[in-house]
Amino acid sequence: MSDLTLGALYGAVTLVVMFSGMPIAFALGIVATGFMYFFMPPSSLDTVTQNVYEEMASITLLSIPLFILKGAAIGKSPAGRDLYSAIHTWMHKIPGGLGIANVFACALFAAMAGSSPATCSAIGSAGIPEMRKRGYSPGFAAGIIAAGGTLGILLPPSITMILYAVAAEQSLGRLFLAGIGPGILLVLLFAGYAVYRARKEYRMALEIYEKGGQKSAYLEDEHFTLKQKVEMLPRVLPFIVLLIGVMVALYGGFATPSETAGLGALLALALLAVIYGVWKPKDLSPILGSSIKESTMLLLIIGMSLLYSYVMSYLHISQSAAAWVVSLHLSKWVLLAVILFMVIVFGFFLPPVSIILMTAPIILPPLREAGFDLIWFGIVMTVVMEMGLIHPPVGLNIFVIKNIAPDIPLKDVIWGVFPFLLLMVLAVLLLCVFPSIATGLPDMIMGAK
Amino acid sequence: MSHGVDIAPSRGPAPPDNAVIAALTAALDKLNRLLMTLSMIALVLTALVLTYSVVSRYFFSAPTDWQDEASVFMLVGVTFFTTAYVQFHRGHIGIEAVAGLLPRRVNAVRLFVVDLASTLFCAFFTWKSWMLFHEAWVDGQTTSSTFAPPLWIPYSMMAAGMTLLTLQLLLQTLARMTNKPDSERAA
Amino acid sequence: QTALKLSHQFPGGTVTEGDFRDRLSRMFAAEVEKRSKGALKFSIYPGSSLMKTNAQFSAMRKGALDLSLVPLSYAGGEVPEVNIGLMPGLVTSYEQAYGWKNAEVGKELSRILYDKGIVMVSWIWQGGGMASRGKPVVDPDDAKGMKIRGGSREMDMMLKAAGAAVVTLPSNEIYAAMQTGAMEGALTSSTSLISFRLEEVSKALTTARGGSYWFMLEPLMMSRTVFDKLPKDQQQLILTVGAELEAFALKSSKEDDQQVAVVYQKANAKVVDMTPASLQKWQAIARATAWKDFSEKNASCANLLKLAEKTL
Ligand code: NA
Ligand code: NA
Repeated sequence: MSDLTLGALYGAVTLVVMFSGMPIAFALGIVATGFMYFFMPPSSLDTVTQNVYEEMASITLLSIPLFILKGAAIGKSPAGRDLYSAIHTWMHKIPGGLGIANVFACALFAAMAGSSPATCSAIGSAGIPEMRKRGYSPGFAAGIIAAGGTLGILLPPSITMILYAVAAEQSLGRLFLAGIGPGILLVLLFAGYAVYRARKEYRMALEIYEKGGQKSAYLEDEHFTLKQKVEMLPRVLPFIVLLIGVMVALYGGFATPSETAGLGALLALALLAVIYGVWKPKDLSPILGSSIKESTMLLLIIGMSLLYSYVMSYLHISQSAAAWVVSLHLSKWVLLAVILFMVIVFGFFLPPVSIILMTAPIILPPLREAGFDLIWFGIVMTVVMEMGLIHPPVGLNIFVIKNIAPDIPLKDVIWGVFPFLLLMVLAVLLLCVFPSIATGLPDMIMGAK
Repeated sequence: MSHGVDIAPSRGPAPPDNAVIAALTAALDKLNRLLMTLSMIALVLTALVLTYSVVSRYFFSAPTDWQDEASVFMLVGVTFFTTAYVQFHRGHIGIEAVAGLLPRRVNAVRLFVVDLASTLFCAFFTWKSWMLFHEAWVDGQTTSSTFAPPLWIPYSMMAAGMTLLTLQLLLQTLARMTNKPDSERAA
Repeated sequence: QTALKLSHQFPGGTVTEGDFRDRLSRMFAAEVEKRSKGALKFSIYPGSSLMKTNAQFSAMRKGALDLSLVPLSYAGGEVPEVNIGLMPGLVTSYEQAYGWKNAEVGKELSRILYDKGIVMVSWIWQGGGMASRGKPVVDPDDAKGMKIRGGSREMDMMLKAAGAAVVTLPSNEIYAAMQTGAMEGALTSSTSLISFRLEEVSKALTTARGGSYWFMLEPLMMSRTVFDKLPKDQQQLILTVGAELEAFALKSSKEDDQQVAVVYQKANAKVVDMTPASLQKWQAIARATAWKDFSEKNASCANLLKLAEKTL
């Protein structure tokens, strides 16, 4: 059997096992050990556990649970709601301000949490009901949160970037910085669209009302006194302190990325204890418990994926696939387009973590050869994977929305998300034309590569 | 990635119909909860250790060389000691896209096969983990770092955790075999 | 026909271009393939693309990996004796380093490794030095209070005793840490000092041109299980080609020692060489710390150290 035939078989078996509904971690492990048994020397089976351990025993990877904890500390406590209310109080006067407030809240939270579904659920549980109360159409409200939530893996810290940095052997600190520019770009695009759509819905609501129809909540005026507004300010302060504190620790030469993860988690817990009085084991256990559940699930996938890519490499599947891609002599940009398309297709079914782990050995060598800056590509790939989070059939963020607002029909959610998908495509194009949107900041702070 | 929505720890899946399996499941759940509590403490401790290493380096210029490995060991422990708990709550995500397309009977068979295959794989992994532990124990292997702690510590946590996971999966498989066919269960 | 897999952690290139350790692997493969008339064929897996760097040694012992070119001391947790492959101040020149293979210490080390399931194919040594953000570190006193990454247990011990604040962090963060000042000095091979591009964030470099306390044994090794299964002539061929390539390794390491100086000079860093007097001071510190720690591990380590000291 040729390497590529074997590769096709490997891919096909993976597909079947994955779609059987077997948990991704076990599926990766079972396919890998199965192929080891049939196609590799028996001694390979003796190295299975050590390989998995070596993969997991990296302090960079193990900062993942701590980044998750930091996000959960804020997302699952009154802190998340406060953050949201404060931004809302200040922004509601601007047309479409509530939409902007939600995008901003997602961005701020994303800058503290490492994953997208976490961002989605933290802001969405307050944001979606609030927007609907004010007359926003359900699809639009869901779209804002689903899309805003994707910022979770683009704005640092980011779990997928940690995996990418390890796979591509790039500096995590630099990669984190590179995500900020594109993150802000997406925030602006999302906010701009929110204003446009809100005004459109407002005009429609006004038209209906003037024709003697129902009065939509859009038309109700909401008012906050200056005193109320000022009172909300101190509630945002702790987040700003947390955000800046962690950034200074990382980029001021005080801490390594993994130490920053520990520092951030501890600061977040300290804020909860001091400001919200959340410190008793009873209060903390849901936060810690949910963090551990998520990180255990992720780390097991990460560990098992090592076996998966080991077999792929041993049987020369990754190398042949990569060589095959190179041999096509695609022009630089066609190559990029093909690879991104592949990532999108994977995004139909797989969470970003699995996409990175499974595709990195195949796609990184040709990209390196074609002369792409791998920091820049990491960012582009992240944006593309974000799209996977909100497009059907399997979009984790869409699941989250279904959980927060089960009464919004799936069709509405998907239509509500669609414009945001277009904006993300636009962002990818802008990144291709102006790569410095991503690389500018790290080059400025850490020196050009 | 989690679906972001907190599943309250108290709201576990319904107990199996068979009394013996139900009793064993309950016992394992108790152990899992205890390990979960320990893991929560370990997670906070890890955050403390990493913060301490920053503080000690910058304010007392006394850098620590053990923080990375201590953290790695603790987090490896957290991961493996809670993996059975996560499995109990069906928290290891998979692609459930075909669930809606299959007839009910076929779907039941599919779920059984998936659980059985997962059990077998984890059993294999458990066996190899204990072998790895044994090797490290007998040879007195350590990590190759400055701190150089013994490797049997993380290996034993991996092996023990995988043992519990295998047991959990086995009980879930057995429950699928013995549950009355009419009982409509998601898990 | 036998297909063999050779894994290493260094960047991949071609026979004629790139990292010399990758080139050496490819030259080895090509030469053995040629002389065995295609009876032995190789696949090279650069950049840890087959397995994690730290898993290679143990995979070879189990027969799950055929060959690997890897710093020997990485396996120090598994086989304590191999820590001698990166013992500060124990080897101070290439001449001494390349004398090991046929000296008692080399024969004993080969025997121990063979016992553990590893065959030494090619003895490759690399010199290294220190890049720093401030002043060059030549004398032990220069290291006082500096945040330095020694990169190995034994180097760290010596640096600590010299008064340095030793930091540990993964190698992919070295550049960023030097940039931000989280660390102020990095001790590693000349080749890595170039490939990490630390000259962009360093102000000084101490090279290995005039000798160094940092010499690392980074051999090409083979799994004994696999080796023993080969016919005698093929075994001999592998050892012969391995030995022949040692000259290339020596030449390349020395070139990298020169090259790193050029690169850092171009980046306006202050480039200095080690002095014999300073070297002796480092050696004295190492003797009291790392060497002592090593020989106290077990009798076999103590014996190995004694044999190694004979080459000084
Ligand atoms: Na984030
Ligand atoms: Na998707």
